[in-house]
Amino acid sequence: MNNKSRNKEVVGKALRAVPKHLFLIVMSLISIYPVLWVVSMAFTPGESLAVGWHFVLDFIPAPNAPTIQHFISVVHLQVIGGTFADWFRNSVIITSVTVVASVAITLPAGYAFSRRVFPGREVTMFSFLLPTMFPGVVTIIPQFLIFASLGIVNSYLGCIIPYTVGSLSLSIFIMKGAFDSVPKDLDEAAKIDGASEFRAFWQILAPLTLPNIATVALWAFMGSWLDWALAHVMLQSNNLWTLPLALYSLIQPTYTYYGTFAAMSLIMAVPVFVVFMIFQKYLVTGLTSGSVKG
Amino acid sequence: MVLYPFAYDIYISFTDMNVYHIKKFGLVGAKNYAYIFTNAQFLVILRNTVVWTFTNVLPTVAIGLALALVLNTKVRGKNIYRLFLIVPWAMPSFITLLVWRAMYDYQYGVLNRLLEQFSIAPINWLGNCTWAFVAIVVANIWLGFPFMMIIFSGALQSIPTELYEAASIDGAVGFRQMRYITIPLIRPTIILGLLLGSIWTFNNFNSAYLITAGGPGICTTIFITQAYNLAFSGLFDFSLAAAYAFIAFIFLFFPGLLWTRYMGVTKQVA
Repeated sequence: MNNKSRNKEVVGKALRAVPKHLFLIVMSLISIYPVLWVVSMAFTPGESLAVGWHFVLDFIPAPNAPTIQHFISVVHLQVIGGTFADWFRNSVIITSVTVVASVAITLPAGYAFSRRVFPGREVTMFSFLLPTMFPGVVTIIPQFLIFASLGIVNSYLGCIIPYTVGSLSLSIFIMKGAFDSVPKDLDEAAKIDGASEFRAFWQILAPLTLPNIATVALWAFMGSWLDWALAHVMLQSNNLWTLPLALYSLIQPTYTYYGTFAAMSLIMAVPVFVVFMIFQKYLVTGLTSGSVKG
Repeated sequence: MVLYPFAYDIYISFTDMNVYHIKKFGLVGAKNYAYIFTNAQFLVILRNTVVWTFTNVLPTVAIGLALALVLNTKVRGKNIYRLFLIVPWAMPSFITLLVWRAMYDYQYGVLNRLLEQFSIAPINWLGNCTWAFVAIVVANIWLGFPFMMIIFSGALQSIPTELYEAASIDGAVGFRQMRYITIPLIRPTIILGLLLGSIWTFNNFNSAYLITAGGPGICTTIFITQAYNLAFSGLFDFSLAAAYAFIAFIFLFFPGLLWTRYMGVTKQVA
């Protein structure tokens, strides 16, 4: 191959890469644009967004004089009888109980569905799948009515129970899949060494599924930390609100507190974003393990 | 714990329970269903739900697939692109949807400001029937494509490279490799994406509610938001809402069944 044709090839390759990069750049910009805007809003002084910001390069929003005033006002936020400290505490309590409960339930349940044969196994598993097909809102109405008659509407329990149950359907299958992928030889080896079934489960199998346990915890965390629809129905007193309800309250039909809203969005989203990025690999496998295996 | 609410939902959908007689309610037969099916709103909501599902799922899958295909070739900065492209999925949807709602704001939203930059008249995104629908669809496609991109990337990576090498030797390149190797091998994932996408979109309460709350009027109301509105915003007609929820459930039961069969998730380990 002489030099001329090689040069031609290099140029041709570079030219062919242009549309690819164009497509990727445009899509990436669309992806992060709302985030750029929230960040800009969060640091723009004033609540209305009428003034105080401009476009960089004609399309990237940026504050004229950045301020952290909104982050301070989030912490001092109050809505008749409820304070930011209350909502933060409520969110933390409800979320942590939900996470612990759903791991505690799905770990043994996943094991049982993977290793044991018992009557009604298929039916039980199918019943756990139903809510996967029909996300939370369908069940909010009956749950609200049932909890109203039990008197646990407007309490932590009124949220914790539905969140835990709601996370089970997907999580049980993640855990079942996790135990499925642990070779059965391990159970048998442990048995030969004289370990009881529980010991084999607890000391050998469960530690091997740690990444999946993390996924289950993450699903439960996101489901409860960010839920609005159910909390909106269940938690009626302002001091029992969770953070999403407080965030939603900043958007009024007639007026939106954009600055505080953006700052609070960032405070709530950043931890989720970081954890998500760390665990994203595992998140997909739980859902698609049946088909992508190849 | 899991099944009881479903059974209870079906039961109250045959009663006359609402806020006026929450304790003392009686069976009224199929009255709620008769009311729903004879009401002109039903057809509008049905049409909205169907249009909503299709206009979301098809572009989401198409964009996700296109991105996965491009990212599966040799491109510089692949990892950085991937990081950016995953952002809509990694950010909490509850928050990003409210952000989209703010972006659509007529006076102060960034979208109309952007149009202004290019001397285009502002659009009344959330006040106009058609635009409101476009608005929620666009926001939901934005939310949905990264997931599709990820599952298609996974599927593409599992195709053995030997297949492409063999094809090149046999003189099949470019489009023909795509047609005879790539597409057939990732077809199961495409079907999975379409199925999961339809199920999630059909019942996607957050996307359809947080931006428009179903309005203006019932322009952007789908089954699931209608059920929620009937039960919890002002009317408190629980039985009618339960009937709506149950109708939504029936619509999804068969795709859902298909999904579980397809994945074989209930099978025991060999």
